[in-house]
Amino acid sequence: MTTEFYRWTENSWHSPDIDWHKAQTVTCGIDVGSVSSQAVIMVDDKIYAFCNTRTGSNSPDSAKKALSISLNDTGMKQEDIQYIVGTGYGRVNIPMAGKAITEIACHARGANYMGGPRVKTILDMGGQDLKGIHCDERGKVTQFLMNDKCAAGTGRGMEVMAELLQVPIVDVGKMSLDVKEEPEPVSSTCVIFAKSEAIGLLRSGWTKNQVLAAYCSAMAHRVVGLLERIGIEKEFVITGGIAKNIGVVSRIEKELKIKAMPLSPDPQIAGGLGAALFARDLLLKSRKAA
Amino acid sequence: MGAIEKFQEVLATRHQYAQDWKKKHNGKVIGWLCSYSPVEIMYASGMLPVRILGSHEVQDVTDRYLFPTVCPFSRDALAQGLKGRYNYLDGITMARTCSHVQGTYDNWKNYVPTPFKYYIWQPNHVQSPRAIPLMVREYKGFIAALEKFTGKKITDEALNKAIELYNKNRRLMKQVYEFRKQEVPPITGAECMEMVVASQLMDLAEHNKLLEELLKELPNRKLDRNHGLRLMMIGSEMDDIVFVRMMEELGCTVVIDEHCTGSRYFWDEVKLEKDPLTDIAARYVNRWVCPAVSAEFKPRFDRVLEHAKNWKVQGALVYQQKFCDPHEFDIPHLIKMFKENNIPTLVLEFDVTIPFGQFRTRIEAFLEMLELELV
Repeated sequence: MTTEFYRWTENSWHSPDIDWHKAQTVTCGIDVGSVSSQAVIMVDDKIYAFCNTRTGSNSPDSAKKALSISLNDTGMKQEDIQYIVGTGYGRVNIPMAGKAITEIACHARGANYMGGPRVKTILDMGGQDLKGIHCDERGKVTQFLMNDKCAAGTGRGMEVMAELLQVPIVDVGKMSLDVKEEPEPVSSTCVIFAKSEAIGLLRSGWTKNQVLAAYCSAMAHRVVGLLERIGIEKEFVITGGIAKNIGVVSRIEKELKIKAMPLSPDPQIAGGLGAALFARDLLLKSRKAA
Repeated sequence: MGAIEKFQEVLATRHQYAQDWKKKHNGKVIGWLCSYSPVEIMYASGMLPVRILGSHEVQDVTDRYLFPTVCPFSRDALAQGLKGRYNYLDGITMARTCSHVQGTYDNWKNYVPTPFKYYIWQPNHVQSPRAIPLMVREYKGFIAALEKFTGKKITDEALNKAIELYNKNRRLMKQVYEFRKQEVPPITGAECMEMVVASQLMDLAEHNKLLEELLKELPNRKLDRNHGLRLMMIGSEMDDIVFVRMMEELGCTVVIDEHCTGSRYFWDEVKLEKDPLTDIAARYVNRWVCPAVSAEFKPRFDRVLEHAKNWKVQGALVYQQKFCDPHEFDIPHLIKMFKENNIPTLVLEFDVTIPFGQFRTRIEAFLEMLELELV
């Protein structure tokens, strides 16, 4: 069997303590991104269950898969969820969602929930794009900036590098820090050229760790460039899959000279969580109107 | 068929329109590049001036002629010539503004068979006091060449008539723009863009009649749509109506614009003060300036802000054609000016084809940001 080095750990969780049968609201946010999908279920204002899974070839199936993983072993069924909001790149194509809201608004809202009203700057490092977001104390977006079409500096680029070097993607960050001296970052901004550059470096005798360090450092450098254009206010948080890559995160922190505030339970669910919170608002609003 | 539908039809069948015009009038058609080209003179020569625009399709025919770092609009426009879509043109001209579109002109001249070719030199610094006499001299050369080509003299009377026609067109389009000030605009930004682009493709005698019809129709026109937030669009060349339509379907209306397929192209009239050529030259010198011919951004910015305020915009979409340096240099200052006036901005970089999914996300997120309460 061939090893798929790009595969990151898919995870799911649900709270053993919450009895959803007694809840006033049961809502869900489904974030179908270009690489990963999340479903977050909220019971009243608490996170009840969530999952991170790989996005498939189409949005409806990916949404369905994420939702069913989150519901797994909870006894809850899709019918028990009173309102669903879709977000992410596939948001317009999530059949069970009552409304679609962009991942930019959802990430800010989700980060605000996990990090509290002090969160002012969010860096979302997604599968195919990067977003620098500013928000107010309620988690409402006040400004944002996105990278252009290029996939370098994103999760997809990291997957390509993990495959090339045959290093499991979850080990990339740690290995990249295990170098005696920080190498020069790779210079290419395009993921395809960066790959060619990495091959060249390996041929000239660099170790895998050095190449990974050079790649993580290049990624961090580009992200910092984007963040500096929008400006950074404290507290600063990182969401999305790359928030779990210590090699990139620590280099971003070093360049910015500011620590990212850790988010729990999972920085990757920020979009889905924000969508679930919007779903709750929409549900309460519709009940009030009725 | 209403006026707007007619504009849409002309846009969709622009090449057929020009060829039909040729047949009907037993006349000639001249293509122009860049909105600094003196259309009044072309019209006075008896030719139909049509603006050369791109088709927003993926193409690879220009790679042998222009670097990929030339702006997508200039490449797209050249592609139309290389593909033979403008084979009916009797002539082509441009007034010198930016190097990219000049690349389009130079290659067109050499590789797209067109009988009449004339390049109008224009100073890079149009605001110079020496610009008007210089441009008059250039225009005289252009007129002599046109007269030789058509065999017809361009009289002052013909020039005055053309000025009158274009001025009327400008006035009527401004009146249409006034309707966009309404709380619920009876015309969308995409429709206005269709109107302006049609004015660059049609015989203005006909366009003016349609505008008069439109102005009668607008007071009672009601659109079955959510007008949403009021936006301004600012940038260089922009005739991607599909994009504007997509944008307006997301819950906004473009109520005012500042680009060369919109207000910046037609806003200023020719003031009748001296002789026709001097008046025309003065119009192009003093018109709403394009950053390609001026390093000073204040005159442009003052107008942009005035329009943003008068049309009560809630946000501004600043777009640029990739690699368009003159506009790109202005953008940081534009953003700053809007910020100081509490108007949020969104910047997008355009290519020949636009990544709709990603742009849709940005526009939606921008609109969500502008909404006071999202939910």
